[in-house]
Amino acid sequence: MSRILPSTARDPQLVRWGLRALSILFFLIGWEILAYQLDSLLFPSFTETLIALSQLISTPTFWQALWVSHQALLIGFACALLVGTTLGLIMGRWRAAEKVFDPYLNILLATPMSALIPIIILAIGLGLPARALVVFLFAVVVIVVNTRAGLRTLEPSWVEMARAFGANEKQLWWTILIPGALPAMMTGFYLGLGRALTGMIAVELLLIAVGIGRLILDYQGAFEAGFVYATIMFVVAEAVILLNALKYLERKLTPWAGQATIG
Amino acid sequence: MIELRGLEKTFPSQNGDAPTIALAGVDLKIETDEFLCILGPSGCGKTTILKLIAGLIAPDAGTITIDGVAVNAPGPDRAVVFQNFALLPWANVVTNIAFGLELRGMAKTAREAIALDLIRAVGLQGFEHHYPRQLSGGMQQRVGLARALAVNPKILLMDEPFAAVDAQTRRMLQEDLLQLAHTTRKTIIFVTHDMDEAVRLGDRVVLMSPRPGQIREAIAVAIPRPRPVDLDQNPRAIELKTYLWQQLRAMQN
Repeated sequence: MSRILPSTARDPQLVRWGLRALSILFFLIGWEILAYQLDSLLFPSFTETLIALSQLISTPTFWQALWVSHQALLIGFACALLVGTTLGLIMGRWRAAEKVFDPYLNILLATPMSALIPIIILAIGLGLPARALVVFLFAVVVIVVNTRAGLRTLEPSWVEMARAFGANEKQLWWTILIPGALPAMMTGFYLGLGRALTGMIAVELLLIAVGIGRLILDYQGAFEAGFVYATIMFVVAEAVILLNALKYLERKLTPWAGQATIG
Repeated sequence: MIELRGLEKTFPSQNGDAPTIALAGVDLKIETDEFLCILGPSGCGKTTILKLIAGLIAPDAGTITIDGVAVNAPGPDRAVVFQNFALLPWANVVTNIAFGLELRGMAKTAREAIALDLIRAVGLQGFEHHYPRQLSGGMQQRVGLARALAVNPKILLMDEPFAAVDAQTRRMLQEDLLQLAHTTRKTIIFVTHDMDEAVRLGDRVVLMSPRPGQIREAIAVAIPRPRPVDLDQNPRAIELKTYLWQQLRAMQN
């Protein structure tokens, strides 16, 4: 009586990956068919895009553009991690800090970030600092909000328990508050990285035409649809890999936590 | 001896309600090595008394002294066992039990040796490296108890520790606690809303009434230890439980 229904799914992991692969395969076949149906100069097929991609990654121009873009990403996101985590922890712990910073946080939360780009350029020009600042602003808010939420939603009995055992403020931070808030912080980093990538491309497409954004605009101007698609495909692939790496890290670091996401 | 004198505690209102008077003038003496049960309906301030003795909160009026020394912060002479266990989900059983010792700066090998001894004492052998989420409620509270015992406190403060586990497990935990209390000699203050538990465990039962929290009376259980196995048939236990039940029921009306 141990098995009432025969189990066909031998390995659920395998089934999940199979379905995922199948979904992608259908999408690519659909893309290919649609491109042949339309037969348009502006809509390359998947195979055309792949050929363009292979040419693209063999040009030094592409790698230079990539490096230019990622300088802003690295600086901006690193600053967002540092500032966002610190500010989130301070705001989560002390009500007075919350009162001081909350209005600005709300403004940043409510404002469409792209609208801030012209202001930043007016203020600090067209250089790398401006692009890094855009990346920073895109990413920092979700990191602050999630870190703060991590402290706020922390199980209060953990803090009480640590205090009952004589923990001082420093011990409380290292043994309870930071590990306890880590799952929510990781969610913030994940969402923040997604936004940082958006910010990196958005600023280059909208106002400061350098790097990957410049490349896309150039190919677009030259009606090189295959190259436009190839560049975008590369950026999407990179984002997917980076975000999955972070997700993996999250599972490794905080295996006890559920999948709580606050956007 | 623990002495509470004229304790008053009011919690400020939340979202505009009237402030909650948790305690309105509580006087109580608890002898060294006594097992005292505080019994009362929810909202009678019994957990507040425990937190005050733990030094987690301060009274608005009145004093708490332990052997003549005033309490105003948590101290190494006291340890708390929590109703919801309050285990750290990112730490395994050994690390959780050694937590209090870690805060006191004891070296890792020394504190883990103590933790391993206590794992044997509470019957958790084989689960040393399990995480709280992998344990049943009863086992989690054994970890909570071991963590409190690890710091070797004179006073054990237990806040409805067995309320969140099933009836069978509760009986097992109660028996193990009696055994531990017998062998380790500690002052135990045990908060509960279960009169059977209060009679089963305590030397004395303090009955509290709610709104505002006050001590109604303190009753000596007067059943010799070790407590008989057939306590349910013991006439004194039946008499006491009947009386406590009448009192509790009268408070609800």
